[in-house]
Amino acid sequence: MKILVPFKRVADPENANKVKVPVGANGLGPKIETTGMEFKPNPFDEYAVEAALRLTENGTAPKARLGEVTVVTVGGPEADQTLRGALATGADKAVRVEATDEQLDGAIIARALAKVVAQVGPDLVLLGKQTVDTDSAQTGPMLAELLGWPQVTFAVQITNEGNGSLLVTRNGDGGVQKVRVKLPAVVTVEDRVSYSGGVTSPPTPATHKYADGVRFAPLPAIMQAKKKPLEVKKLADLGVDTALSVKYLGFEPPPARKAGVKVKTVAELVDKLKNEAKAI
Amino acid sequence: MAPSDNPLLDDRTVTFLLDEVLDLRAHLSAIPYFEGHDREGVEVLLAMVRKLARRVLYPTYKAQDEQPPVFRDGRVHLHPSFHAAWPALVETGLLSATRPVEHGDQQLPFVVHAVAAAYLGAANLNLVGLAMLTSGAAHLVEAFGDDALRAAWMAPLYAGTWTGTMALTEPQAGSSLADVETTARRADDGSYRVRGSKIFISGGDHDLGGNVVNLALARIVDPDGHAIPGTRGLSLFVVPRLRLDGGELVDNDAVTTQVIHKIGWRGLPSIALSFGDRDDCHGYLVGPPGRGMPQMFQMMNEARVGVGVAATATASAAYHESLAYAFARPQGRDPRHRDGGPQVPIVAHADVRRMLLRQKAIVEGSLALSLTAARLVDVAAHHPDDATRKTSQRLFDLLTPIVKSFPAERGFESVALALQIHGGYGYSSEYPVEAWLRDQKLNSIHEGTTGIQGLDLLGRKVVAGGGEALSLLLAELATTAGRAEAAGVDPAWGAALREAGDRLAATTMALGQRGLGGDVEGMLLHSHDFLELASVVVIMWQHLGLATAAQAGLARGGPQTPAFYDGKLRAAQYWVTHELPRVDHLADLCVRAEGSYAAVADGSW
Repeated sequence: MKILVPFKRVADPENANKVKVPVGANGLGPKIETTGMEFKPNPFDEYAVEAALRLTENGTAPKARLGEVTVVTVGGPEADQTLRGALATGADKAVRVEATDEQLDGAIIARALAKVVAQVGPDLVLLGKQTVDTDSAQTGPMLAELLGWPQVTFAVQITNEGNGSLLVTRNGDGGVQKVRVKLPAVVTVEDRVSYSGGVTSPPTPATHKYADGVRFAPLPAIMQAKKKPLEVKKLADLGVDTALSVKYLGFEPPPARKAGVKVKTVAELVDKLKNEAKAI
Repeated sequence: MAPSDNPLLDDRTVTFLLDEVLDLRAHLSAIPYFEGHDREGVEVLLAMVRKLARRVLYPTYKAQDEQPPVFRDGRVHLHPSFHAAWPALVETGLLSATRPVEHGDQQLPFVVHAVAAAYLGAANLNLVGLAMLTSGAAHLVEAFGDDALRAAWMAPLYAGTWTGTMALTEPQAGSSLADVETTARRADDGSYRVRGSKIFISGGDHDLGGNVVNLALARIVDPDGHAIPGTRGLSLFVVPRLRLDGGELVDNDAVTTQVIHKIGWRGLPSIALSFGDRDDCHGYLVGPPGRGMPQMFQMMNEARVGVGVAATATASAAYHESLAYAFARPQGRDPRHRDGGPQVPIVAHADVRRMLLRQKAIVEGSLALSLTAARLVDVAAHHPDDATRKTSQRLFDLLTPIVKSFPAERGFESVALALQIHGGYGYSSEYPVEAWLRDQKLNSIHEGTTGIQGLDLLGRKVVAGGGEALSLLLAELATTAGRAEAAGVDPAWGAALREAGDRLAATTMALGQRGLGGDVEGMLLHSHDFLELASVVVIMWQHLGLATAAQAGLARGGPQTPAFYDGKLRAAQYWVTHELPRVDHLADLCVRAEGSYAAVADGSW
């Protein structure tokens, strides 16, 4: 199986309290100040890489690669490190579409990814359900639409049924849903896909137990990753419409949390919930 | 188990040190031995290490501290969390990462390895301790063993399928290894039969499977029972728990007799071992007879950097814990609004800020020093230029006792401050700081106590090569002071460092003359104060280096925020104003051989 995993480098959400927004006109800043911020791979994309690796290997030691995983990102050269991290954990190839943040919005990224799909020819596109910086959860669905492929979002479990279809378990508001999807398809994943039983794939015996979470790249693999192919394409050369459809008007930090109040009696609590918060 | 909220080490400080202070890129390109590595690969490695530290190792720490190993049916059983965390640590390939390609390894710079060890050690010293002992034992066999010994014992240690120990200490021979009594008698098959008792052997027994390979000091005795006394009679042996007999692993008569109950590093077992109760304990000589001590000490220097890194790591974890607490804990009010207003977070109080900045100065000074020393190890071992290698080795040798003792001693004080910031909660085991305080105490004891480090510095290192090492250090101080001034750092700081360096040199000279004049006792009377003096100066040197890079970063709009750079300048300012003035006082105690404790009669205590 050939799998393409779109991958984004994001500001570390664990440093969210360090995010600074310079104040401009109307109290809105022109951008988020990124100096001194730390960046890391979008965690949901890391879960997608882990799922993709499990779907393309015999996971019993020593692991054997049986398919091909290509990771792709859209961004500047600073994102190469993120791609190299994915190559070190086991991905086979990497593609970077050269672009600056100012040139991009979700729709342009989806269009660029559709072109990369046409060039790489995967059976499956696996990606995180959302990125942890903008939280918009649009790239996967937009890509599926552009490709005309079926899509399953918010996957928590993936079983390769071996006949060109996947059985995907997803969490929705109404409960757990099992969806059979024919390949090629787009699947977006949640963290639980990287848990021990998150992926079932025939070459790996059902008796094999994966550790919970994503795998760590050992040092030798980190060094070998430098020798794996990393192709850089220019956004302009992909022949996609690069007109921005999203415009950022300004940024402001979220309002600071107000101090709470202590209520003396349950009756007072109920009263506040009913009349002030209108929650009940 | 939840990953760590505590960053353990500040990632930005690590990046700043590697890029703006130590110039890792230049280091990698100056030394052909490291040509397989690049800055980006190091960052990918550190990303992996940070994840492993925060998500895998840290969550197992508290349980290991609370439930130490159990001695049952003659064997040691570790906390069950070791069984998943140890393989995860081994699989990173870090155990043997610095070793050469011909042993199948990665030639990773020691300075990068030290950063990795700091993150992992801050997360869980028990596991990192076992790893350091294992790679240390393997390194001894690599350096001094023949091909047969390497194939049999080194390879499985580097692979992490077995673990290793340093079996030096005996009940009557701790700091004084000249008194080691374990004996080795040559047998017909060319190996030796070992008899004796060892104690405080960390990692000496466990239930992780595989084997335990002890690197032991023992005294060779001839058939008449005669042996060479003192350290010259000591030889280095591989004394495994299981020996190889026709390709099979069989019991080697090395028996666990006791598990020591400890106050820190409680997850890692320290045991008492008995060799040869049935006279069937086989030992395999490593290197020539009588060379045990020098061989051991060649490795000991790297182990001492390892202790400095571990001590820094523990102090760093505690600092970050107390920093977060100080911002979150409301207590008391702004002194200008005594009677009302909301409570303020305790970071608003001057005394809490004092405790935070002192910790920051200790932790960041220790980290900078440990990494500077690790970088010198790289240069001394692998730089293409002969003279550069030699001078780096000299300077490293001089710095080793400080790297070993400063992060341990001041790091203990630093963790105590972190606990103090937590108030009553810090004194309870609900919060992690008290455990780090207990862990930290070991670092001033193992691999040579602080007392030994003082004697080593004054009695050996500063006088080595006719004082050449000290001259090298003074030249480094002058260079750093010059750079600081050029970068726009307050010129008074550089001047103060130069002056403190001169005072160190004058003190050394005076003590040397006292020794040459026959008063060796008077010369060494204040070896601890001398170590303290040298440490204060060396840490000032490090802080001035950080301040220089910070000032330069501010001037050119470097990759970090102005607030970050300002923090480095504040820590340097603290060291200049609070610590550097102690130099004169310490020098005075040393030079006049101040006699209060020397003069106390036995009956006067």
